[in-house]
Amino acid sequence: MSCSSYDWKAYALGEIDPGDRHQAEAHAATCPSCREELATLRLTLDAMSTLREEEIPRRIAFVSDKVFEPRWWNGFMRPSFAAAAVIAAAILVHGWMMRPVSSIDAAAPSIDTAAIQSRIDAAVTKAVAEIQQRQAQETAKVLAVAEQHFAEQRQADLATAGYNLDLLRKELNTMYALNTGAGIR
Amino acid sequence: MIFREVEDRDLIAKARRGDVEAYNLLVSRWEKRIFNYLWRLVSNREDALDVSQDVFLKVYQSLPKLDDPARFPGWLFRIAHNEAFSMLRRRRPESELTHEPRTPPPGPGLLPIELSLAVQSALGRLTEDQREAVLLKVYQGFKFEEMAEILGCPVSTIKSRLYTALDLLKTTLAPTMLRGES
Repeated sequence: MSCSSYDWKAYALGEIDPGDRHQAEAHAATCPSCREELATLRLTLDAMSTLREEEIPRRIAFVSDKVFEPRWWNGFMRPSFAAAAVIAAAILVHGWMMRPVSSIDAAAPSIDTAAIQSRIDAAVTKAVAEIQQRQAQETAKVLAVAEQHFAEQRQADLATAGYNLDLLRKELNTMYALNTGAGIR
Repeated sequence: MIFREVEDRDLIAKARRGDVEAYNLLVSRWEKRIFNYLWRLVSNREDALDVSQDVFLKVYQSLPKLDDPARFPGWLFRIAHNEAFSMLRRRRPESELTHEPRTPPPGPGLLPIELSLAVQSALGRLTEDQREAVLLKVYQGFKFEEMAEILGCPVSTIKSRLYTALDLLKTTLAPTMLRGES
């Protein structure tokens, strides 16, 4: 069979039958120009494989988006819920401590509401700050893990791509040398 | 792959019975592939995202019409193709202006990221039909017959578009790869 009867693009794209594949490989083993054509195609496909899929910038929103809704108990773990709980508790405790207890108390000097308010504000501010700090620490931890994972993945990809490139280059150089007669003296 | 196929089929059956959670899971499995396919095809991230949204809405509405759930991937990409091209047709006059800037071909000694940009640039120089054939074959792994169903044209047309595209890519990318190594 002549060179033109082999469909090297279909071969490189995995679109030929196993029988035809063997026949094509046998031909390529003895035909430098077909081997070169195949090597160039592989090189092209390898280059194309460097283009990776990207993460979708935001999820596809859909009717009744329940799958990714948190479970009901997850709500208790949210910082906003925890902050609200702390504030509510502070108000309740404060209210209980400040309740009128007897007629003697009633006759006591009037309550300093400004001081109470400032204590509530201080307690709330402190609770919110603590929660925000905890949240920031957790976010930083997750980011560090993700970055490390990404860096490792990138290193591995680079190593694989480099190895493949090197192999192909050697193969092409060999073919070039055979075709031009360079190195055969 | 087989397990995945069975699971998709199961999700499709549930979604057809009105199980929205099953459909959402199906969407989460395919949204990345569909988005990337559309992004490479229309060359604009925001447009790709909008069209992805439309695609999955249309898929949900049309799910009862899917005869064979095993053919879901091809059917899904056919809907994506139709939506993308109807958007491209609508925007044709301005599309040439709104495309994201094409990167110039990189010089020798290139880094992997530069190689990716070179590929992106080379893909950008193909016609939409050629680029779509490359995306479906090289990046999505469809067979010629499946591509013919997705694009609604004969296998010979698919092969012609794909082979022309490969010849063009070959002349740009193969020398770039060799230069990068030298």
